[in-house]
Amino acid sequence: MNIEEVNSRVKKVIAQVLEKNASDIGDNANFVTDLGASSIQSIRLVAGFEEEFNIEMDEDKSLQVQTVSGAVAFISSYLQAG
Amino acid sequence: MSTQIKNHPLVNTTEPNLLEGTFKYSLPPLIKFDGPIVEYIDGKPVEFDTRSLLKRDIFITDTTFRDGQQARPPYSVEQMVKIYDMLSKLGGPNGVIRQTEFFLYTKNDREALDKCRDLGHKYPECTGWIRANKGDFRLVKEAGLKETGMLTSCSDFHIFQKLKFKDRKECIDAYCEVVEAAFEAGIRPRCHLEDITRSDIDGFVLPFVERLMKMSEQVPDGLKAKIRLCDTMGFGISYPGAELPRSIPKLIYKLNKECGVPGDRLEWHGHNDFHKVLINGATAWLYGCNALNATLFGIGERTGNPPLEGAIIEYISLKGDLNGIDTTMITAIAEYMQSIGVSIPENYPFVGKHFNTTRAGIHAGGLRQAEQIYNIFDTYKLLGRSPRVAITDKSGVDGISIWVNEYLGLKGENRISKIKVHRVAQWVMDQYEIEGRLSTMTDEELEAKVKEYMPDFCLKYNGSLKNLK
Repeated sequence: MNIEEVNSRVKKVIAQVLEKNASDIGDNANFVTDLGASSIQSIRLVAGFEEEFNIEMDEDKSLQVQTVSGAVAFISSYLQAG
Repeated sequence: MSTQIKNHPLVNTTEPNLLEGTFKYSLPPLIKFDGPIVEYIDGKPVEFDTRSLLKRDIFITDTTFRDGQQARPPYSVEQMVKIYDMLSKLGGPNGVIRQTEFFLYTKNDREALDKCRDLGHKYPECTGWIRANKGDFRLVKEAGLKETGMLTSCSDFHIFQKLKFKDRKECIDAYCEVVEAAFEAGIRPRCHLEDITRSDIDGFVLPFVERLMKMSEQVPDGLKAKIRLCDTMGFGISYPGAELPRSIPKLIYKLNKECGVPGDRLEWHGHNDFHKVLINGATAWLYGCNALNATLFGIGERTGNPPLEGAIIEYISLKGDLNGIDTTMITAIAEYMQSIGVSIPENYPFVGKHFNTTRAGIHAGGLRQAEQIYNIFDTYKLLGRSPRVAITDKSGVDGISIWVNEYLGLKGENRISKIKVHRVAQWVMDQYEIEGRLSTMTDEELEAKVKEYMPDFCLKYNGSLKNLK
């Protein structure tokens, strides 16, 4: 899966969980300060990414990811390893 | 005292110092002293050796069936026998719970005493309680008891206003006559110095105790009078430097060192009118009194007595050893007492439903990472009670994650990540934020949602509310 596709699917999940338009989500947007994610929404984002990409991520490390581009890179590292 | 500013440089480290010498987790935190205690008595400094506590035979005496029953409807014979049996198991074979006292006045009292003794336990030894009335020794004798408590009230409130003695001498003579009768009957008298913390210590208490010690010289060791210091109204003070008659250190010292009452014949009986009841009892231990009188869950006259289960934990903390105590019986006794109608507040230490329940999400987060952060000691090992979380809007995903893992019976590395509980967590948050709920989630509600949102996990791990004990 190329990076553009990962980016697109990450934004789809973010849009669903945070109830936003995917086109409004910038690559460098911060989940909390820019997109307004609450702590429970952060958990739901990680759960959404795991379901979308059929991967299981490290809980602590995944919750440390703060931006959209960070999430894309983090998820890509799992996809490459898998 | 002048201020002397000192420098305290940071001791930087990457390895945490968890103070495991004190906070062992497998035991209640140890109470350690770094030197003797100094108390000024009659203007002179007196040292109390705190290390002696480790060697002295301190113990607990129980008054659940006497003072405890003065504060509630009477227990049935069967209930008393059950409680006595459990007290024996709790205190263990070394008699940390050394004695328990019984009323002797009704048929019910005597039947309960007989049936408790029929169990054949060495500890707690059964003793009696009577008024200071010579005729009452017949009851003690008939019951075959070796020791009985008797009222020897010592404040002028009691001597003059309650008992209507003409003067103190008449009062002491009357008390000593009853003590003499006890000796003659071959029964050890335990003199309950009621209201001692409101008494004239030099003018009445010490002369009376001196006379009791003198009388005791004439009898064998097993008959020598014991002294119970009854802080009837809870006026006792543990602070060093407090004045008599309220100072517990000074009271114990005067009776122990000036009147010559050995520590194993001194007993502290407190009341909780000023929220000082357990620390006052432990203070008596510390200063030389070996026996701490207590009741289960502190149930006693008015505000109650030292809670026996609290005294047990304090004993372990001071001794650093269980000495045969079966702490899990604390939970068993609490469950039994609740089954017969005794009410225990949910936040009551060691046995309340929520004594080790965390509500705040930030605390639950700590608990999830390492149980010890927010649990006082290994409550599962010592009391059969794992730390819990109560789920409210403040619990956060961490709290819900702990609840789900407990429900699924998962420990250590087998615990599932909080990512997996997100649907349950969202449902909980919606209850408060959208539905306007104000009450705590019940276990049954959460179970239903875990089954709905996490069916695979429920099936795999056989989740059950029984896991939440």
